[in-house]
Amino acid sequence: MKFNVVSPENTKELLELISVNQDRYFRFGAGYTDLLIELKKQPDEDLTVINLAQLTDDIFTAISKIADGFRIGSLVTAKRISLSKDLQSNYSVLTEAAKKLASGQVRQVATIGGNICTASPAGDMACALVALQANCEILNSNGTLRIIPITDFFTGVRTTVLQKDEVLRSIVIPSNNRKNKIYSNFIKIGTRRAMECSIVSLAYHILTDEKSIITHAGIALGSVAPTIMLAKSACDYLLGKSFSSLNPSEIKEFSQKILEYASPISDIRASAWYRTEVLGNVAKSIFEN
Amino acid sequence: MSQSIKINFTINGKRTELTIPPYMLLIDLIREELGLKGTKPGCLEGECGACTVLVNGEAVNSCLYLAINVDGKEVITVEGLPVTPEGEIDPVQEALIQHGAVQCGFCTPGMVMSIKSFVAQCNKDNIIPSPDEIKKAIEGNLCRCTGYVKIVEAVESLF
Ligand SMILES: Cc1cc2nc3c(=O)[nH]c(=O)nc-3n(C[C@H](O)[C@H](O)[C@H](O)COP(=O)(O)OP(=O)(O)OC[C@H]3O[C@@H](n4cnc5c(N)ncnc54)[C@H](O)[C@@H]3O)c2cc1C
Ligand code: FES
Ligand code: FES
Repeated sequence: MKFNVVSPENTKELLELISVNQDRYFRFGAGYTDLLIELKKQPDEDLTVINLAQLTDDIFTAISKIADGFRIGSLVTAKRISLSKDLQSNYSVLTEAAKKLASGQVRQVATIGGNICTASPAGDMACALVALQANCEILNSNGTLRIIPITDFFTGVRTTVLQKDEVLRSIVIPSNNRKNKIYSNFIKIGTRRAMECSIVSLAYHILTDEKSIITHAGIALGSVAPTIMLAKSACDYLLGKSFSSLNPSEIKEFSQKILEYASPISDIRASAWYRTEVLGNVAKSIFEN
Repeated sequence: MSQSIKINFTINGKRTELTIPPYMLLIDLIREELGLKGTKPGCLEGECGACTVLVNGEAVNSCLYLAINVDGKEVITVEGLPVTPEGEIDPVQEALIQHGAVQCGFCTPGMVMSIKSFVAQCNKDNIIPSPDEIKKAIEGNLCRCTGYVKIVEAVESLF
């Protein structure tokens, strides 16, 4: 495994390096927990890694409250997300996903931007962000910003809308309506408790009004299809219903809508039948405690 | 094709300047360049934690860490844990020995470093961890021998 590395320290240097390298094979490196494993498996090529780990601009490295929600820089690590009290009280689906990602050693370095850009159907923080219907703020080498809903970001297995001259700068999560109660969590089922790439995962972020009526629902599924899925019809089905008094047949109908989004595969970790069975039960469990 | 890069960092308290290939992994810097063989190569894929070291006090897998990114930082390996003039070793190491939590010992250096950072965090937050919290803290360290029970007991004894 051999490659060249360039380490920009600010956005200006980063954009210049992206421009200069347009005709070459280059990759971004943030926490390296996906990239190094991928590169170890490849034959050596004339590769340049643009090392994001030494960037110091807040816009890439900070969690900040903004007028209409929270902005998280792409270089913020899973560890920092898991410790953020602001994120915990507003979007516990995201902090729980961060806590359940890999191990302490991996969380210490793994970034939220890397988790999104690697575009794995098992990306835990990415799955939570789909449930939150976050927006991706993408910068190109001219310094132009474009904003893409994360639900449009993934185009297939490990592919995204990012162009060669673009970098993911930050993520914006829309604010919750203040009056609402928040039901927000990340459920991850693996074959063992620690370090597991999930068999299925379900992220939900549901808001209700004073009368327990559901006013907003975001539900995303991981590891059940080639990309993370927003279970739109299941979300819509919940709107206007009472969170605390869904009856068993409504819960069943809800879980059937969830399953419409799953095209699970059989692999070394679990069979398609098992994945479907587990997903149905996980979906029901949202309303059963 | 790849240009060597100069880095400045401290290793086990000693300021060091080195020029290294840009693609060098931290585990190779530690074991090959610095000759510190206490840090173990296991899976080399982030799964087993045998290669765990502290960077700025936090446990990381040195097999998935680019060595140039320790520039300006402090690295501590198992060799860097202090021994008193009377020959007393680090309390974490002592606890593992006292509880019979070391068998073949291959996982031990990495285990010790994960426990070090966890204990420091607990002391800072002023909490006494439950057995479940201890298990969660060492989820990134695989041990093929002990079955973890004695390791968890050893960590409990530190509080
Ligand atoms: C042992 C182990 C266990 C794991 N377990 C889990 C798990 O439980 N859940 C989970 O979700 N993941 C898991 N992962 C995968 C990985 O740790 C995460 O996906 C992590 O968030 C990746 O972030 P990173 O900063 O390390 O990314 P990197 O490896 O640095 O980058 C990943 C990809 O994204 C690109 N990239 C990074 N940042 C940007 C950016 N700002 N703009 C554009 N492109 C960018 C890189 O070029 C690369 O292609 C595991 C990995 C390991 C090694
Ligand atoms: S050798 Fe680094 S985690 Fe296994
Ligand atoms: S003591 Fe042998 S692997 Fe842990």
